[in-house]
Order: sequence, then C-alpha cells, then structure tokens
Amino acid sequence: MSSSEEFVNAILELEEEKALKITRERLEAGEDPLKILDDLKVVAEKVGEKYEKGEFFVADLVMAGEIMKEVSELVRPKLKELGKAREPIGKFVIGTVEGDIHDIGKNIVVTMAEAAGFEVIDLGVDVPPQKFVEAIKQHNPDVVGMSGLLTLAIESMKKTIDAIKNAGLRDKVKIIIGGGRVDEYAKEYTGADAWTNDAATGIRIMLGWVGGKKV
Amino acid sequence: MSLMGVNKEPIDVLIERQQKEPETVAKERLDIILKAVELKVPSRVPISGLGGDIMAYYNGKTWYDVCYDFEKAREAVLSFAKNFPQDFPFILAPYGLEGFIFALAFSDFPDFSNIIRFLTGPVHDIIKDKWSRWPGRELREHQHPQFLGGEFMKPEEYKQLIDDPLKFIHDVVFPRACPGLGKPKSPQWNGTLIRIGLTLQRVASFQGALFQELGKLGYPAIPMTSAYSPADIIGDFLRHPTGAMLDMRRHPDDFKAACEALIEHILKVATAIPPTPPLTISFIPLHLNEMLSPKLYNEFYWPYLKKVILELVNKGYKMFIFFEGDHTPHVDTILELPKGWGVAWFERPRDFIKDVWEKLKGHTCVMGGVPTNLLVGGTPEKIEEYVKNLLNQTKSEGGFILSTGVAELPKETPKQNIRAYINAALKYGE
Repeated sequence: MSSSEEFVNAILELEEEKALKITRERLEAGEDPLKILDDLKVVAEKVGEKYEKGEFFVADLVMAGEIMKEVSELVRPKLKELGKAREPIGKFVIGTVEGDIHDIGKNIVVTMAEAAGFEVIDLGVDVPPQKFVEAIKQHNPDVVGMSGLLTLAIESMKKTIDAIKNAGLRDKVKIIIGGGRVDEYAKEYTGADAWTNDAATGIRIMLGWVGGKKV
Repeated sequence: MSLMGVNKEPIDVLIERQQKEPETVAKERLDIILKAVELKVPSRVPISGLGGDIMAYYNGKTWYDVCYDFEKAREAVLSFAKNFPQDFPFILAPYGLEGFIFALAFSDFPDFSNIIRFLTGPVHDIIKDKWSRWPGRELREHQHPQFLGGEFMKPEEYKQLIDDPLKFIHDVVFPRACPGLGKPKSPQWNGTLIRIGLTLQRVASFQGALFQELGKLGYPAIPMTSAYSPADIIGDFLRHPTGAMLDMRRHPDDFKAACEALIEHILKVATAIPPTPPLTISFIPLHLNEMLSPKLYNEFYWPYLKKVILELVNKGYKMFIFFEGDHTPHVDTILELPKGWGVAWFERPRDFIKDVWEKLKGHTCVMGGVPTNLLVGGTPEKIEEYVKNLLNQTKSEGGFILSTGVAELPKETPKQNIRAYINAALKYGE
C-alpha cells in the first residue's frame, strides 16, 4: 500500500494518531504538501460514500472532520514555507439562515468543504437574506449553502432564495439547503437545487456540481 | 358544507363539544390515550403534534410574549387549544428550553426538581446561563428561543464528574455556565438562588392555573416527570455534542463511567413525582441518538438509557421518549424493552411504516407518522389523503398516536392545513 493509500485509509478508519503520524512522515520525507491535500479531497469523497451506504454517521463525520482539520493544520506551514497555495476546486458561501443560531451542522460542512478543497466563505449564524445576496455579489461563489436546525429555518431559506431570485442571481449559483428538518418537501417549497440532512452527502453533491468545471 | 352550519366539519363539532362538555371530552381523551399506551385499539386514534411558532403567533403574540409575558402566554395557549383541538398536546408555557441539568443539580429536592427542569426566560434572566438564547434578550423578539449548549467541562475533568456529579455541577459547571450566579457562596450567589426560587413559584402557580383552564377545554391532566439519557447530559450541558462525540473515541472509559455515575441522580429526578394510576408519564427527549453509529450507540448511549427506562418502567411509570432525528438504525434496540413500556415519538424515520411501525406495533405505542413539512407546504387535499392512508395502515392494530414529527410548526403554516390534519384524523381515525 502506498503511503497515500495508507493515509486515506487511516482517516476512513478514524485512526487519528496513525493519520497524523503518516502526515508528519510524508512531510518529513519531502513530499509535496499539495499531494496530501489532494488526498483529503479523496477522503471527503469517500466519507460521503460511506455515509450514503450507512457505514458512517454524524459522529464519524465529526471525527473524520477533526482529523482532516488537524492534517490541514500540519500541512499549512509547510505549504507557506514553499510559497505554494492550493487551487480551490470551487467557491462556497455558507451560513445558518435568519432566525436560527445553530451551527454544529454548518461547522462540520465548513471543515469538510475546506478539506475537500473548496474556498469557504462562512457568513456565520442568523444570516439575513440580504447578507447572502451581498456575499454572492462580492464573492461570486459556485455554491451557496443554507443551514438551519429549526423548523422556521425553512421559511428563512425560502425568503433567502426569493431574495437571491429578486436580485437576478439565482442562475449564477447552485443552492443546497441542509439541516435536521429539511427534506424533499422543503426543497420544493424553498426552490433550492438540493437538500441534505448531513454534511457528507452535502459535500458529495457539491463535488458533483463543481466536478466537471475545474481541476 | 361547514358554511351552511348544518353539516359541520368534524373539527368544528369537536371545538364545540370541548367547550360545552369538557369533562366528557377530557374523559374520552384520557381513555383513548390510555388505550393507545396500553397497545389496545382506542375508539379513535389520538391526535398530537401541534405547537411551536403557530401557537405563539396564532392570535398575534410573539415569542417574547410566550416566554416572558405570562398573561399573553396564557391567551396564546388557550386560543390555540380552543381552535385546534388535539388529544395529547405537549404544552410548555411560559415556553421552556432544555434545562435538565438544573433538575439534576437539585435532584435531592423532589419538591422542586421537576419544576426547575425546563429552563424559562425569567430564570435565564437571573442566572444569565450560556446554554440558551432568548427572544427580546440575545435574540430579536420574534425569534424562537434556542438551546445552544456549549463546552463547560474539559476532557480532563471527567474524573471529577464521575466522583461526585452533583458537586461537580454546582462547584465547576454552574460558575462557568451561569455568570449571573456570581462566585459560589458569595452574597450574589445566595441571593440569586432565592430569586430563582421566587420566580419558580410564580411559574408553577401560573402553570397550575393554566392547566385548570385547559381542563375546562376538555384537556385531561396527565402527571409527567422528567428523565434523561445519561450521554445527552454530557453532550447537551457539559461537553457540547461535538465534544461528546469526540470523547467517545478519545476518552471512552471516562465517558462510560460518567454515564453510569449520572443514572442514580436522573432516577431521583424522575421519581420525585410518584407514579399514580391510571397513567404517569416520564419524558425523555433524545439528542445524540441519530448522530451515532449503531456501534457507538450500543456502546455509549443505549446501555445507560436502557437502565433508566427499565428502572422507571419497573416502578410503574410509562415512558414517553422523543426519538429526535432519524432513529431508524437503532429502532431494533427498542424491542429489548418490555412490551407496553411507553410511547415512542419518532421525528424523522426514513420510512415510518416500514422502519418503525412494522417493527414496533404490538410492542410499543408509536407516535408520529406525519412529516411537519407536509403541513407547512402541502394542500388540505394532500394532507387528508396522507392521513387517511396512514390511519388505514395503523388504526386496526391500536397502540398508535397520530402526530407530526415534532410539534414545531412555523407561523406560516396555513390554518386550513392544520384543520385538514385534525379533520382527517377525526374522520378516518375511528
């Protein structure tokens, strides 16, 4: 098994110590840190697959995300030292919608999207529709993610998507809504392009959207 | 139809009856709930699951009102209860957020441990806890109060928690999470506790009066106590859910020992109100459940929750458990409980009939089946069709309570949809 495969497997097995040890070894051996980050994209994809197959649950995503974050932190100084930067695979604006201040789900998505190679603009929680509109104008993202746990979040998602339509920006972005209480009804009602109850599936959908475009 | 005043819709007949003959209606309601809990076939399938935003806003109140202005909270609850009759409502007024840590902390005080169990806005104002956010305070007046939780215990402190949970909560957690209390043993600390007591008395007497008034609308009073899943105490109040999930991998032995240590105190809270026939319910909302793989659930969550449930069922309580999120992967474990142990309310199972009902019927009283978003975004026709279909598959078996996945309907929910839901339940539930 190559160190790359071993590394990917260690994260998928949620073996924190082992994954970090391999990261250090790869960096010490002078391997291109970008290759390690490319492996994280593979991990993100596989984590999504495992979730869809029912092999992974939120607690596993949290652990995998934590390991990916730790790996990124080990890699970052080396990347800087070499004067390299990672070419983002897509731009992603995300926020918890107006009226809702829950952020567990959103934070898992942010961690995994970054690890997967997205440039993430995190608008925080209780984000009013207008702030989403402004962020789309300013950052020109490929994907907009709206998160929310409360049932009322669905109404806010609808208002936000309406505001994006009214600003003439709806065709410029793909929109995914996520949270414990969104479903197919909520997708239809809000006018989003996709819905997800979990971060991993969300990332998979987003990777599919930007897949043909870059990299 | 209803406009003619002759052929009234079923909901209108019930609205009239619950005002004209509340005692009879209350008896009927208690009877159908009991039958359902005992896995028998009631004369009509009980209706539940209506509440949330819609209750606050239906007659023009805000979330601030139902959290802080008791008179307005009363009006909101009563007018909703009058116009949208249900059999097994879950009413929190003034609105309450998750606050079981307080019940636990005062588990040696059975006279008030269940009164302090839900965190209210007025108590939040006094202790300024960091677990919750309230309308008109940290949130705007029209925003739903929200439980956020947080990290108020470090992983290396598990030992202290395990050694003496109550001491740890009072000495370490409260000073960190409730800055309003000030320093332990200071005049501010002592005075604040007295002020909490005065506030609880106000809340309790308001609630007592409100339940009397609900009785006049045909709503039976069913005594309820509170219990909790040990792992959720760690996730909700001490380590934050994310921290708890990481601890299961990084500090597995500590996590399990802490769950074990919490059980006796949880049971003290639950048994503070003795079980009285015909029915005393003990309520547990589950939180981490759907986030865990069966492996983690069966190792860190279920064994301790199961102990709590079995103890209480043995003592004569019927459990009422809210299985938050998608509990599908863990449904089979419920069959380990004795038949007729209580009511299982499912929020969002993948396939209600296949994954929940078919597995549990005849063993567990199952509650749920109606996606909340169907009431929000559906049409009266779609809702009627859905409810009719669901009831046709369940009612002949008994042991079923019709409900939404969670009693949190946004204020935009069309009134005619809620009426359609109740109408369909009355029409096809017999």
